[in-house]
Amino acid sequence: MRVRIAGMGWVTPLGSGVLEVWDRLLRGEEAAARKISDPVGANTYTVFGVPDLALPDLPPHPRLRRASSISRFAAGAGLAALNDAGLTSNAEAAQRIALVFAISNGGVIYTKRFYHDIVAAGADTARPLLFPETVFNAPASHLAAIIGITGRSYTLVGDGAVGLFAIRMAEDLMANKELDYCLIVGAEEADWLLCDAYRKWRLLRSEPPIEPFRKPAKGMILSEGAGAILLGRKGPVQIDITHAGTHYSKRREAGESLKRVLRCVGPANSAIVIASANGTFIDEAEAHAVSEDLPEAIVYTPKIALGESVGAGSLWQVIVAALALRTGRLPPLLHVTSDIPFRVPTSSVNTTESDRAIVLSCGLNQQVAGLRLSI
Amino acid sequence: MRFTGSNVRTRRVAVVSTGIVSPLGFGLTETLDSLRAARDCVTRVVRFPVDRCRCKPAGQVADARLLTNRPKSRRGDRLHRASNMMISALQEALAQDQQFKPELTVIGTTSGGMSFGEDYYRSLHRHGTLRHAPAWIANYPPQKPVTDALEAFGISSACQVIANACASGTNAIGHAFECVRSGRYQSVLTGGYDALSELVFVGFDSLQASTPEKCRPFDRQRTGMVLGEGAAVLALEDLDSARGRGAHIFAEITGYGMSTDNHHLTQPDPSGIGPRTAMQQALESAKIEMQEVDYINAHGTATPFNDAAEAKAINALFTARVPVSSTKAMMGHSLGAAGAIEAVFCILSLQHQFLPANINFRTADEDVDLNIVANEPRPASIRTVVSNSFGFGGTNASIVIQQLRE
Repeated sequence: MRVRIAGMGWVTPLGSGVLEVWDRLLRGEEAAARKISDPVGANTYTVFGVPDLALPDLPPHPRLRRASSISRFAAGAGLAALNDAGLTSNAEAAQRIALVFAISNGGVIYTKRFYHDIVAAGADTARPLLFPETVFNAPASHLAAIIGITGRSYTLVGDGAVGLFAIRMAEDLMANKELDYCLIVGAEEADWLLCDAYRKWRLLRSEPPIEPFRKPAKGMILSEGAGAILLGRKGPVQIDITHAGTHYSKRREAGESLKRVLRCVGPANSAIVIASANGTFIDEAEAHAVSEDLPEAIVYTPKIALGESVGAGSLWQVIVAALALRTGRLPPLLHVTSDIPFRVPTSSVNTTESDRAIVLSCGLNQQVAGLRLSI
Repeated sequence: MRFTGSNVRTRRVAVVSTGIVSPLGFGLTETLDSLRAARDCVTRVVRFPVDRCRCKPAGQVADARLLTNRPKSRRGDRLHRASNMMISALQEALAQDQQFKPELTVIGTTSGGMSFGEDYYRSLHRHGTLRHAPAWIANYPPQKPVTDALEAFGISSACQVIANACASGTNAIGHAFECVRSGRYQSVLTGGYDALSELVFVGFDSLQASTPEKCRPFDRQRTGMVLGEGAAVLALEDLDSARGRGAHIFAEITGYGMSTDNHHLTQPDPSGIGPRTAMQQALESAKIEMQEVDYINAHGTATPFNDAAEAKAINALFTARVPVSSTKAMMGHSLGAAGAIEAVFCILSLQHQFLPANINFRTADEDVDLNIVANEPRPASIRTVVSNSFGFGGTNASIVIQQLRE
């Protein structure tokens, strides 16, 4: 049984709307950097944030009254994917849709606010209204309520590869023919606390640009937003194969894990590879895997222009892969400063000869996954 | 939607090994002893200050014993105690069946290594030392205790970590069950874990969902839940495959139901429609009638709304007076671990033919008209049990566990 991409939705720092963002990527644009401050340590960080104007209009729904940014991003992308597939929201249709939500850091803004009160003023000052929004599945619950999903709804947690794990789970769910669609949504919100954590983990760059495959790696810029993929039985792009995923123990082993994934979802020499390289150690691991196993492939990573959106990141990669197959174009890979042992698009290139695209995802916290699409 | 799996390839799904760590004890033997003794393992919280909380008690896993089981290495020293719980539970399961090789791991949790996040934020806020920050950050994510446990035993399978609030553990088992039953996987490791954290403890305290008194599920004077912690894993395998290699079979998982109740983020629809749908789907998925159910291990958190909704759902679906108990009164609500821990309790009940007790029960509630297994375990002839878990976000999950049928 093969499943297909029936619809997509995208909320990014470069705008929202699949075709709008794609056009801007093809033109070689990148997200605008925004400064955010840490009121505790008085540090400043740079993120690629979703501009207010980029957030699509959302239906008035009581669940969105107090919802955090992550829930709004998810709702925007999820509803756009349904709309893209021509699905109107009605209770009957919603009963045949499952939801798989991919998340990494979750509702960090409310979580931080809730815990800050405890640390600063004591447990008896904690605000009960905030606590439910700190739960990992709160954004999925809001989205299910907005769409009217009453059946399967799972929130998967993981690192940057979690979106591909979610697609694999959706494929497993779609084995049941009583289900027409599975909506997969990945979302993340940026906050100074995450920046501080990634900086202490030596993965963050203080200012753009993100330089792909640079040696030594200089770090990533955190971003936010959401990506949504609606899987169905019909649609222009097919998911040929998904690797269930694996994990590496030490960073230096990431490349070998990626090679195992690549050997499962490849070989396809004419394929496009949409990588997860983000300016960190991941770049070297992916370069190692791709240059040895798919030396003829043309490789692109959207994280240079859009930043590292962690839980949403691998779904953004899938959207890029599907659009590359549909439009026969690949955007330019920006800020290439090193010699790279495989082909990368230095300007927007024609890829019509490629009818397959491989998505490779290596997370910062040990998880690795991959899949292959075809048109 | 009837998501019963009736139109997919149907394999039978065996539980070939299991492991558990909870306030009731380390391993199946200690757990069984505690269940049979109806032991109250709830004590005052010692892991963080609770002076300014309304509620002080929780079910806690002894750290000293956890530490003896952790990997002896520098890396092992940095692991979160949630990782150590997962390692202990997995160690027991793999010791029972050394040939078990999972193709996939599906584990439920709610908050992962949250206390490392708390340590980090406290240090940041107080401008204290951040020497340990990289280790806290690296070991904080919720998938980390799962990969730590897999790594400790050389397992490289993919891990899907489900965070569906308090239903996570049952959701994980249910999804793993469907993966094997559909024939897409032959063997899946599943379960759940959660470790107590200050943020979550204070969160339930602030909502006044927890109680400073005894946890009394389904009692007329119930005043709320107490939190707990722990980990449990179950090794699921295609029954034919398990039989083929001569594996010991503890029980069969035969049904799974799940519903999403969109009534409210934290409160169930008072009609009980969410739990009822989940249980009904689980029975249909197992292809059994409600009369065949011998025992229900209820979600039973002892909050007024949740217990009332669950009781309404049970009464709407089961016309017979099926025995019901909530084991949370003994050890607290271990959130993402609860469904997995309670599944292990159900397996022990099936193996040893008894019904675990709903302790601290004093007065029947006219709105909760259930056949409660009050205060003492009961010997019983049981073949089929249902285990329920419901959570924030309106997630409701039920599984059916049965003795092996020939």
